Amino acid sequence: MLNVVYAEIIKLKHTKIYWLILVALIPVCLWSLMAVSPKVGPDGTIVPLDLQELFYRQGMIVTILGPLLFSLMTGYVVAREYQERTINQLFSYPVSRVSFLFVKLLVVWILISITSILSFLIVVSSTLFVIHQLDLTTVLLGLKMNLLICVLSFGTIPVAAAISMVWKSVIPTAVLGGGVSLIAAICELGHSMDVILFPWLTPYWPVRDLAQGLAEMGPNPYVIPALVILIVTFVVSLGFCIFYYTRADVHSGT
Amino acid sequence: MNYVLQTHQLTKQYGSHAIVSDLNMNVKAGDIYGFLGQNGAGKTTTLRMLIGLIRPTSGEFELFQESFHGNRIKALERIGAIIEYPGFYLNLSAVENLEIHRRLMGIGNQESIDEVLTTVGLFDVKKQKVKHYSLGMKQRLGIARALLHRPELLILDEPTNGLDPGAIREVRELFLKLAKQRGITFIISSHLLSEMEQVANRIGIIHKGRLLEEIDDKTLQQKTRRFLEMKVDDDQRAAYVLEQKLKVTDYQVAGTGILRIYECLDQTDLVNKTLTDQNIGVKEIVLSRENLEDYFLKLTGGDKLA
Repeated sequence: MLNVVYAEIIKLKHTKIYWLILVALIPVCLWSLMAVSPKVGPDGTIVPLDLQELFYRQGMIVTILGPLLFSLMTGYVVAREYQERTINQLFSYPVSRVSFLFVKLLVVWILISITSILSFLIVVSSTLFVIHQLDLTTVLLGLKMNLLICVLSFGTIPVAAAISMVWKSVIPTAVLGGGVSLIAAICELGHSMDVILFPWLTPYWPVRDLAQGLAEMGPNPYVIPALVILIVTFVVSLGFCIFYYTRADVHSGT
Repeated sequence: MNYVLQTHQLTKQYGSHAIVSDLNMNVKAGDIYGFLGQNGAGKTTTLRMLIGLIRPTSGEFELFQESFHGNRIKALERIGAIIEYPGFYLNLSAVENLEIHRRLMGIGNQESIDEVLTTVGLFDVKKQKVKHYSLGMKQRLGIARALLHRPELLILDEPTNGLDPGAIREVRELFLKLAKQRGITFIISSHLLSEMEQVANRIGIIHKGRLLEEIDDKTLQQKTRRFLEMKVDDDQRAAYVLEQKLKVTDYQVAGTGILRIYECLDQTDLVNKTLTDQNIGVKEIVLSRENLEDYFLKLTGGDKLA
């Protein structure tokens, strides 16, 4: 199984997929730069750097761009086998098709994690650079938020995978991701608690928990139904992927 | 008999349209089996079924004397294949592509990559990205990949597509060498009769999804008749003279000015003299034999290969 994982990782060498991670990191870097620059309050005093606020904004950036970027990553990993006509070869290896599917999803999860963790590290390192100290409790809150983003963002990945394998192209997945990112941006800027019911916005739940000064504060009452919806989305779409990947005839490499 | 592959009533249908019907194919160990048919005859669909890319609608098959159904993984470990087009990750080099194959086939020996690249003549460009390869180079890399794990059975779908005549000859010699030295069994599909004639020791002829005949090279020799082919200046008069003077009845006009006589094969001088005596110009007489193409045309009722 390790060989299958390693083979899947080799396939990403010299690809532009890493640029997608960079696309998410650039806004985080810019935001960090802006946030660490000295600010003057209304009374003329310097406002101290707020690490929690930094993490909140970083989480927002990742959860708004995530649907687009993570869909593109999934689309690329799954659909390229059809587009580059390597699917014939892939399915003639003595490895079950389900193993290939799981490994591809694992690789997407690794890419999501790299995106999230790197953006977390940017926030931490830029804070260290400015004030040379860290509040460990807030850092742990930020880490927890990012880990939850990784897990919750993965919930909708099988949907993108299913679309990629049925259409055998990355374009429908990109359209889906772009549309959802737009919805995410509108919803997250509204700061409403119930937006997390939309499965692609469930990762906003741990982000919103770090927000300060919003009209609605406290524990989010929609967490349980949101998680149920996300799990159902995950299970149903993964089930479809397994069925499609294992049952479908492979024709002409497309 | 040690069969590497046997299919039983193998059928693939899409709706009411049968692509492959009741195919009974038998490939023995060590065979170079030429799978011959026109484009669209059902060759690729059959080969896809054999490596599990598509499911048969009905029928079954055995690879290495075990049912493929339920033994897919075990069977695929012993097979190398190129189906239709040798697909590669274009962003990677030849070595990296073969490294993926090596890992997925669970081969420990990394040196085997250099070995197969040398065999197919790509060692010097092994670090070049595959996107810069020509179709012929990709075909050769496909063959290298199919050989890397030392398979017992190679299934190759039109393996000489895109190769220049020199490379076709090299590949043909490679197949013959591998069959002889390593005892690899080959199933090679093609619509090129001449190619099959030169490499295959058994030929299966598929037409409109049905396997019309399986024939080995010796039987083919026996079934294909010898004849005298003559180029004359007036085929009508020549035919008349042959009938009247030499009582020849088994002949055919194979084209303008071309006669094929299936009698008097050892009387070339008499045939020549009889015709020239009647002032019929004879430009050429050659003793020849029907080839695979003639045989194919007879079997398929005259449908030429694409």
